[in-house]
Amino acid sequence: MSDNAESPTETQKDEPSTPQQPTEDSGMADDKKKIDVLLKAVGDTPIMKTKKWSVEKGRTVQSLSQFISRFLKMEANEQLFIYVNQSFSPSPDQEVGVLFECFGSDGKLVLHYCKSQAWG
Amino acid sequence: MSSCFLDEETFCQCCQLLLQHSHSLCDGWSWEQVKGSEGYLRKTALGTGRTRCILDQQGNSSDQHQERTFSLSFHNDEDDEDDGAVCCIQEESSSSSVVQYEYHILYSCSYQTPVLYFRASTLEGRSLCLEEVWDSVHPNYRQRLQHRPWDTITQQEHPLLGQSFFVLHPCRTEEFMMPVLKAALEEHRQVNYIVTWLSVVGPVVGLDVPLSYCTQVPEPPHTPSSSPQPPSSSPQPPSSSPQPPSSSPQPPSSSPQPPSSSPQPPSSSPQPPSSSPQPPALGTKPG
Repeated sequence: MSDNAESPTETQKDEPSTPQQPTEDSGMADDKKKIDVLLKAVGDTPIMKTKKWSVEKGRTVQSLSQFISRFLKMEANEQLFIYVNQSFSPSPDQEVGVLFECFGSDGKLVLHYCKSQAWG
Repeated sequence: MSSCFLDEETFCQCCQLLLQHSHSLCDGWSWEQVKGSEGYLRKTALGTGRTRCILDQQGNSSDQHQERTFSLSFHNDEDDEDDGAVCCIQEESSSSSVVQYEYHILYSCSYQTPVLYFRASTLEGRSLCLEEVWDSVHPNYRQRLQHRPWDTITQQEHPLLGQSFFVLHPCRTEEFMMPVLKAALEEHRQVNYIVTWLSVVGPVVGLDVPLSYCTQVPEPPHTPSSSPQPPSSSPQPPSSSPQPPSSSPQPPSSSPQPPSSSPQPPSSSPQPPSSSPQPPALGTKPG
């Protein structure tokens, strides 16, 4: 599986066959194109030292999930689950901007995350 | 701690509520009744998957977009020269193609959870094999699946139809349901178990669950807890543990819901105020 970050507008389900575009990882982008995401750990899942992130609206849940997984140095047998409103899990292809507009409050989107050995 | 399990009555109630929303969306779910008592949710949909075709002797395939992979396969192929060979290395091509999926949501008495059964076939009617189904799992879950594929998706006999279906293993359903159920309990609200569960398992196998399910489908009406509550060390009496009864099973109009009933975001949403301390931008991190 590719370890490269996705560009914000790219949504793909297959292994990438074209070179990845580098992600902007500085705060230089227009503020209107980014949203604030607050990440909260659930249960025994490690807490990220930095909880609040500025994320491009077009970024997918999968991209965010990959980022958190790498940040937490998760093992191959572990799966990360992300929850919105602590009531459902967003589709990996969902854009965080859409989630923010539907479920954001106080100017941020709160996402809970949990690592587990599910499925099995 | 509240039970993470689902009783059959609540399963049926949650399914019916999901069904109502599905009808309003024309999303394709239906309820199938079997044997007069047991029923399940069913839906067919087209999706994408990775299917394999054996290359001919010239190494050609009818698929234009293909990757050549050498796979180790275990089979007894009548065309195989080594008649008694247990395994051989075969050149196959794997390509992304349209796949017809059929999803069933059943209730498992032994696990006390819902279970997702599905089958997949090409448009020509050929059933996908297990390896192709594994290859078709959403990339978000593929690493975990490849680690232990037999623990994740296998083939089993459909409990009600007796036909061969693929099944997403339910053993650890409680692990990913727990955070939602625990939060609901603490906040004295209920969730629609099936909607939450489906939002997690559906995308794994290509089943799209529109966002509106998560906002528009109500919770089942509260019934007195039938699952045995373990002796609690909390000072609260058992009668306060169950959820307060919902007013009605109708779609909640008083609880805060996003105005849109479709997955599309409302166009007039307020922009988030820019705060002075800028949080770090989410980007690639070394290591």
